Amino acid sequence: MGESAAIELDNVTRIYKRDRFEIRALDGVTMSVPAGRFVAIMGPSGSGKTTILNLIAGIDRATSGHVSVGGEVVSRMTERELAGWRARHIGLVFQFYNLIPVLTAFENVELPLLLTPLKKSERFEHVEAALAVVGLADRMHHYPRQLSGGQEQRVAIARAIVTDPTIIVADEPTGDLDARSAEEILALLRDLNLQFRKTIVMVTHDQRAERFVESVYRLDKGVLAGVEPARPAAIDAAAAARSRVS
Amino acid sequence: MKYAMLVLKNLTRNKRRTSLTVISIAVSLFVFSALVSLPTVADQVLADSASSTRIAVHNKAGLTYALPEAYRTRIAATPHVVAVMGESWFGGIYHEVTDAFPNLAVDPEAAPQLWSDWNISKPAFDQFEKLRTAALVGPGTMKRFNLHIGQQIMLRGTIYPINVTLKIVGTTGGKAPPNFLLFRRDYLEEAIGRPGIVSIYWVRADSSAAVPGVIANIDQQFANSSAETQSESEASFIGSFMDNYRAFFTMAEVLGIIVVLSIGLVAANTAAMSVRERRAEIAVMRSMGFTPRLLVTLMVAESLIIALAGGLLGCASAYIVLKVFSSGSPAAGPLSAIRMPPVVLGETLAAASLIGLLSALIPAQAAARRNIVEALRMVA
Repeated sequence: MGESAAIELDNVTRIYKRDRFEIRALDGVTMSVPAGRFVAIMGPSGSGKTTILNLIAGIDRATSGHVSVGGEVVSRMTERELAGWRARHIGLVFQFYNLIPVLTAFENVELPLLLTPLKKSERFEHVEAALAVVGLADRMHHYPRQLSGGQEQRVAIARAIVTDPTIIVADEPTGDLDARSAEEILALLRDLNLQFRKTIVMVTHDQRAERFVESVYRLDKGVLAGVEPARPAAIDAAAAARSRVS
Repeated sequence: MKYAMLVLKNLTRNKRRTSLTVISIAVSLFVFSALVSLPTVADQVLADSASSTRIAVHNKAGLTYALPEAYRTRIAATPHVVAVMGESWFGGIYHEVTDAFPNLAVDPEAAPQLWSDWNISKPAFDQFEKLRTAALVGPGTMKRFNLHIGQQIMLRGTIYPINVTLKIVGTTGGKAPPNFLLFRRDYLEEAIGRPGIVSIYWVRADSSAAVPGVIANIDQQFANSSAETQSESEASFIGSFMDNYRAFFTMAEVLGIIVVLSIGLVAANTAAMSVRERRAEIAVMRSMGFTPRLLVTLMVAESLIIALAGGLLGCASAYIVLKVFSSGSPAAGPLSAIRMPPVVLGETLAAASLIGLLSALIPAQAAARRNIVEALRMVA
């Protein structure tokens, strides 16, 4: 196909220690996600979905095996290198939004940019653009408590994309939303993928997600059970959109 | 500077808690700075009044025992002595018992040489020598009783069963204690039947280098007599009065340190609570790429701002209170010399910085180094 892999997991095992017990969250998982794809990782609770996401995002370390993202072997980086790498390459979206309550939408989105050498005026432009992409340019001075759940998640997505990261990882982004807001967030993520060619990896229980993603990676008991193409309608729509963009 | 917004926003996260923390630190550092300022009273009194060439000669048995008037001539004949002045404690009161203030009878002729640093005008000295009932009064006492030059006042004796009627001919200044009243000893001697006794002889040596020799010489002259003398420099003489307060000063300093330590623990608990509430946020910021060191710096900066605000507030309050106390309370005796020296301001702000730094450092480090996944799981 000629598609380069944005993410590669090579025989990755992750074992957690809980008191006297060892929990094998991932057991020799090997998988790759091509660049520019919007994929979902699905499976029952405890199947290791979030663990994979954490390893890809560089906030957790594999017990064995290698994790490469964008050609860099994440599993070999030091904590300090990882922090810098995350700032440049990863945009994280959480189930409970995790916005800072004392900061406005604008300031929340600006937060990752504080780690960059951008000037204040440049940061302003980036934040404004990111909020415009998620449709909240008019809410930039609102605090999280003044926004709905769906709007908060949009702000969180703006925060994830503001640094123009290589990969966006989303952990149950629709888990705390009503059906309508969930659809809107899924559509927004799909649009980001189609318009900006962002590689998006999403962990979800939400069956609706299958209509929006290109591939679904099924996990079961820490093992990759299979990779399924998403519904043809979504693929068709994605292809059509790509052709429009190009 | 780009992180300043973050620090300031976090300070306003819980305004009530921030305000209460600032106030509690301010109160404790107010107490600390006031207590630590107390020992400066002794230094201040010495600096304000002691001369390097003045010597106090008193009875070796104690200040309550007098010396014979006849000693004066012999002391005056001692090498390097340029002036000798007898002084007797009168201990009179103005109107009420609560009106007590230091009033002393002194030999007028030697006063200009002995008290050359008391800023007494020549006309006042001249009047003091001419008029037997003349009195020189310190500005504190003048202000306290609303007195004026030319006014006639009567002091009721508490040691001697007499009253003295005095006319104020001038005021003292410079290094003179602000609440002293001086009148003539010959007037007192006459009023009490000429017993020929003196409480203290004040002696001025021709140089500070000569003081040790003069002290030794005087004490040697009267050794083995019925009234042996003990001579000491003015600084040592005043310092011996201050010794009565030393234990009190030490206790005050210890109390001040205890207050700071206890508020440090309270501040540490508050900081720990504040950090604990933000563990998930800290984990989110780390997932964005914020390093533990940067996060610790931000949290410690918050704590330092709170502690320094408290420190400045406490210091300023203590400074104002001490100033009011020292200027408006002559009845406070030597304590009226209390003031806050710059070193106490420095010590208080250093204590505030330590409270801010140490109270936040440990919880901030623990939170910033916590496993990101574990911290995020607590939110989920």
